[in-house]
Amino acid sequence: MRTIWSQVSWRLLIIAVLLTGLLVLHRQGKMTVQIWQMAGIYAALIVCGCLLECILSYRGDRWLLPVIQLISVIGLVFLVRVNPALATKQFLWAILGLALFYLILWGLKDYRRLGEIQYLWGLIAVVLLFVTLLFGVTSGGARSWLKIGSLGFEPEEVVKVFLLIFLAVYLDNHEQVLKIGTVQWGRISAPDWRTIGPFLLMAAFSLGILAAQKSLGTALVFYLLFVSMIYFSTERGFYLAMALPALLGTGVLGYFLFGHVRVRVAAWLNPWQDIAGGGYQIAQSLFAISGGGLLGSGLGNGIGAAQIPAAGTDFIFAVIAEELGFAGAIALVGIFLLLIFRALIISARAEDRLGQILAAGIGLLLATETLMILAGVTKLLPLTGIPLPWVSYGGSSMLIHFLLFALLANISRHAATRQRGTEPG
Amino acid sequence: MSIIRRLALILAFSFFVLSLGLVYWQVVQADELVNHPANRRLILMEGKVARGGIFDRNGEVLAQSIEADGSTRREYPKGEMMEPLLGYATLQHGSAGLESALAELLLGQKYGTPGQQLQRFFDLPRQGNDVVLSLDAGLQKTAYQGLQGKTGSVVALDPRTGQVLALASQPSYSPNQLEENWAQIIQQTGSPLQNHAFSLFPPGSIMKVVTSKALFTAGIDTTDLFHCEGSVIINGQRISEQNGKEHGWVNYNLALADSCNTYFSVQAVESGARRFLAAARDFGFGKAIPFELPITRSSITNTAGGGPIPDTLDENMLAASAFGQGQVLVSPFHMALITAGIANHGVMMKPYIVERVLAEQNKVTYQAHPEPWLTALTEEQAKKITSAMITAVNEGTAAPGAISSVQVAAKTGSAEPGGDVLTHAWYIAFAPAEAPRIAVVVMIENGGTGGGAAAPIARNLIIQALSGK
Repeated sequence: MRTIWSQVSWRLLIIAVLLTGLLVLHRQGKMTVQIWQMAGIYAALIVCGCLLECILSYRGDRWLLPVIQLISVIGLVFLVRVNPALATKQFLWAILGLALFYLILWGLKDYRRLGEIQYLWGLIAVVLLFVTLLFGVTSGGARSWLKIGSLGFEPEEVVKVFLLIFLAVYLDNHEQVLKIGTVQWGRISAPDWRTIGPFLLMAAFSLGILAAQKSLGTALVFYLLFVSMIYFSTERGFYLAMALPALLGTGVLGYFLFGHVRVRVAAWLNPWQDIAGGGYQIAQSLFAISGGGLLGSGLGNGIGAAQIPAAGTDFIFAVIAEELGFAGAIALVGIFLLLIFRALIISARAEDRLGQILAAGIGLLLATETLMILAGVTKLLPLTGIPLPWVSYGGSSMLIHFLLFALLANISRHAATRQRGTEPG
Repeated sequence: MSIIRRLALILAFSFFVLSLGLVYWQVVQADELVNHPANRRLILMEGKVARGGIFDRNGEVLAQSIEADGSTRREYPKGEMMEPLLGYATLQHGSAGLESALAELLLGQKYGTPGQQLQRFFDLPRQGNDVVLSLDAGLQKTAYQGLQGKTGSVVALDPRTGQVLALASQPSYSPNQLEENWAQIIQQTGSPLQNHAFSLFPPGSIMKVVTSKALFTAGIDTTDLFHCEGSVIINGQRISEQNGKEHGWVNYNLALADSCNTYFSVQAVESGARRFLAAARDFGFGKAIPFELPITRSSITNTAGGGPIPDTLDENMLAASAFGQGQVLVSPFHMALITAGIANHGVMMKPYIVERVLAEQNKVTYQAHPEPWLTALTEEQAKKITSAMITAVNEGTAAPGAISSVQVAAKTGSAEPGGDVLTHAWYIAFAPAEAPRIAVVVMIENGGTGGGAAAPIARNLIIQALSGK
């Protein structure tokens, strides 16, 4: 009974955050009846889900879902602040996402069966990307949307799931060969082509297609994910040593091949030089962030929401950093880090290798995405437009991240129940 | 170490670097970026804040926000005479002058009451702060009228405190018709948007008050007589008097009063470049002037590029710099500080124009306090220069600035800007000489001689300032 209360009270705290934010925005006239209704449904779902966990005696990681819900709630409040019309849709995606989370958490009986169709995952991913390249719709400079009827989605988000599973299964199967190697190059032992071939082929295909449709940010996320997952499962610095020069080489090549890469780099090196042109977005972002100071301008008081292009998607963190200040921004960054650490802990506790690799992969994916967009918005690295999970507007990203972390919760649930000597129910 | 731990460490470190990035932008660079010309933060804030009023020292309204039909309009009752000092703040053209520099005060971002902070946090419509300037609108008007039809500037300070009493620059523009006349204003010759008191010009003979200090520190006997023959050749370079005039036998006092170039060139070379440059440094050359508005640094050589002044000068350059030619450049505002420093027994006070900040119900949230900036001279050195400047008024080149009822100390300058144009007319003065209450600099670009073009304007200003109190 005590655990029920501690769980419920966490969720009530999250709902209180949502309510406070929405009330402040209500006072500023940004709320609509529809948003209140959606928020009510989301809050009810949070509480019902929590009760369901207690009834079905969920024994997996207790931090995972509350942390995700907290992040999503912060994102929703700021989306209402930036663009109430988008926020209405985003609430719907959050509700569907949370429902999807519970569906996977309880519905997926045994994640190990995902390994049965190893290469098919990679194939689906490549095909999906290829179809997007052929029939995709251009939006925001990248040809990354597929439309089926009136319903549009971003395959590159969906592909994250397929590639992640493919990679985990692949690494699980070929770990030994990748670790020890079968071919000797002087003092370095490398895996043979038959082992590494399918992976390289799939990696080259997916990265190539993403580059062709100008989704460079996503391509970079995938690349870093591939490398960090191989490093995680083999524990060999050799792969890092191979990957870094390849990345730099590709980067330099991209710089000379693509005009928009050069513009991005120039805007990164000196946004003040071309402040009306290429540097506009990053300069406005920095004006917003720096205006926040320590404690922020207060919710609804910043200039960033109106000044920065794409304030609701790629640059939503700049708006948060402005209105909640350094204190709020660092808190959000800390929450993300906490979530990533939970993924690593779940990986450490998972009993089978596939679960370990999959869990770490999900954590590494989130870490890569978060670091890349936040570093871009704060001008630590050139900007690569990717969404901040659960915060930036976007249905595909919202659903996919709920799905992936449901998988993670599922892994932790299996580990916990197996340790108790019973089969998961 | 297990791979998971290693990854956790790498990630924690990456996030740490990320948070350092946040510290950099939100703490280190915060003040810098808010003043970036392309940053519309302060202007956009206007929509939510009624920009506070600007008042002169006697409570006269210089700028106010007037609400009409649901929108607010900025009005400047004094019109052209306050520009470009007051500046403007518009959505279309950004902001300039005090309206820009004091935006944080006028919008209640700085020195606000706890109540204002709370309103700010919850985004309630609120009132900005009123700013009371040390400026005297009456003196400003006289300065403005004196400059009418000319190009130049007038600066008046209280030498005891560093308060700015008047700061006029011509040509100016009408702030109430800024939008309509914008295209014409930005094309007009003489750059009306630019405050000429903050621009750099060759000082000419008024530089001799600075050179004086080098002579004193070198131990040159100021009672020694020097024979002026109308010109002298130093290291192959001819130094001439204005209009080739021979001054005959002069001591320091007479040399300054009659503005004898050869005396100062010869004595400066005698004193050495190091002492001359040290004197310039002591008077604030090469230094950033602490003030609410940005002022270009005065310089001794071009190569210094607005930075610190050089360590050495060659003899020819030294001889020319001694009477304010060569490559010496100074802003009229800086010259006013130098003059005030001599008046204030050698101590140059930190200049300021914001006297008080008033929050709602006239609650004082900021009050200026006079602070010394530089100690340029010892009291004895200041006395020597003062007495020579008195001689200049009573029997020298500064005679047109004399006032019968009060002793004025002054120095003229006619600086050659290069090319075949009229000289810049400079006039620096303070009064009463025995207990100065006002220091004035008048600078007329291509106006001719300091005594003829500039002195009468300063004279009117001093009479008005001293009669008012």
